Amino acid sequence: MAAHCESGTIASLLSHRGMEITEPLVFGISSGIFFGYFHKMKSFAFPTFIVRNKPGQMRKNIEKRLGVRFKTYNFRDPVKGEMKLDELIRQQIPVANQVDFFYLDYVPSWERVHINVHFLVVIGKEENRYIVSDAYFPKLVELDALSLEKGRFAGGNMSPKGFIFHVDSLPTQVNLKPAILKGISKACFNMLKIPIPFLGIKGIRMFAKKVTEWPKFARDTEHLSHEIMKINILLEDQGTGGAGFRFIYATFLQQAAAITGIAELKSLSEELMNIGDGWREISLFTARIGKNRDLGPDKLKQLSEMIYDRADVEERFFKSLSLAIK
Amino acid sequence: MPEPTDELKLEIKSMIISTLGITDVDPVDVDEEKPLFGGGNALTLDSVDAIEIIMAIQRTYGFRIADQTLAREVIRSINSIAQFITDQRLVKITP
Repeated sequence: MAAHCESGTIASLLSHRGMEITEPLVFGISSGIFFGYFHKMKSFAFPTFIVRNKPGQMRKNIEKRLGVRFKTYNFRDPVKGEMKLDELIRQQIPVANQVDFFYLDYVPSWERVHINVHFLVVIGKEENRYIVSDAYFPKLVELDALSLEKGRFAGGNMSPKGFIFHVDSLPTQVNLKPAILKGISKACFNMLKIPIPFLGIKGIRMFAKKVTEWPKFARDTEHLSHEIMKINILLEDQGTGGAGFRFIYATFLQQAAAITGIAELKSLSEELMNIGDGWREISLFTARIGKNRDLGPDKLKQLSEMIYDRADVEERFFKSLSLAIK
Repeated sequence: MPEPTDELKLEIKSMIISTLGITDVDPVDVDEEKPLFGGGNALTLDSVDAIEIIMAIQRTYGFRIADQTLAREVIRSINSIAQFITDQRLVKITP
């Protein structure tokens, strides 16, 4: 089981090949923690935000920082996509698949939503059913071939296009310490210094400022309440590990402290857990708005203040983190 | 592995009912093994309620469920919540 599908999948593929690495280490080394706010974008019907780097970036960063090589494939033709997958698993190579979460029939129906960037690992096939290791499930599950095909070739934003990958080669020696330091350094840059006004801490502040303008994008109170409730979903569901990936990054820092010998990372890990609790208060606040359709006059102002507060504490946190690794 | 007590289970049911402001369900009517989510129990909760329960457990018992994959397992039923709290209490007192 893992907290997040992409980091969990990568950790699982690497562990299978004998590398000693945990999911939080994959997340941290690949600078997974992030923030971006999108107020007006063609691809989004309503303002939204992200709390991690873009899908695929974790794999690329792990390649760069650990010297691992992944082999990747995209397909337009589902038949060719299935043939390649079957060929690889016949060679007993576990294969990561990008899929739309909605088509995974082993997931309870009330939990299924369309998310095109879910990752799972296919490890075998029995007749017409694939044996799947999914980061969100404690045991192996089965998935029929047609459901997997629908998931791999779903349409829409960030459609998977049959994308699969597997480990091609591992370096003869892995030195985690420089990879950890590079991962932290890049995360601090992304949060503190990236020169784009809607990304990093600046993005959290823009979110805080602009959330009070959300009513003008909404059809009515029902719609607005629903969109505000999605803040809870983006922070807590969709494999964030809780509190918008802040908890998984805190676990990474705890493990990084032991590996690098930088004791300060351990206290920063505890600090980030507490910061995560604050994001969870936001989740709770927005879930209540969504549930009760309660948009009293000051609710958005209160929400804005809560988000501004997260920007302030995260700015202090990432500055301390940046200093800790110098 | 110690078993959760009946008192703890009743306390958890009352905590959930009070946290979610449910007025038409009595704690004794809540099945301890049936899933809390997806129907079939006197308390039929949805995903929005999950964060309420996770935060209530943290506030009431002081145990943070940071990982939501674990959270999904923990808040599956009254029994699973009670087992989690019992286990965490044991971890806390074991040096």
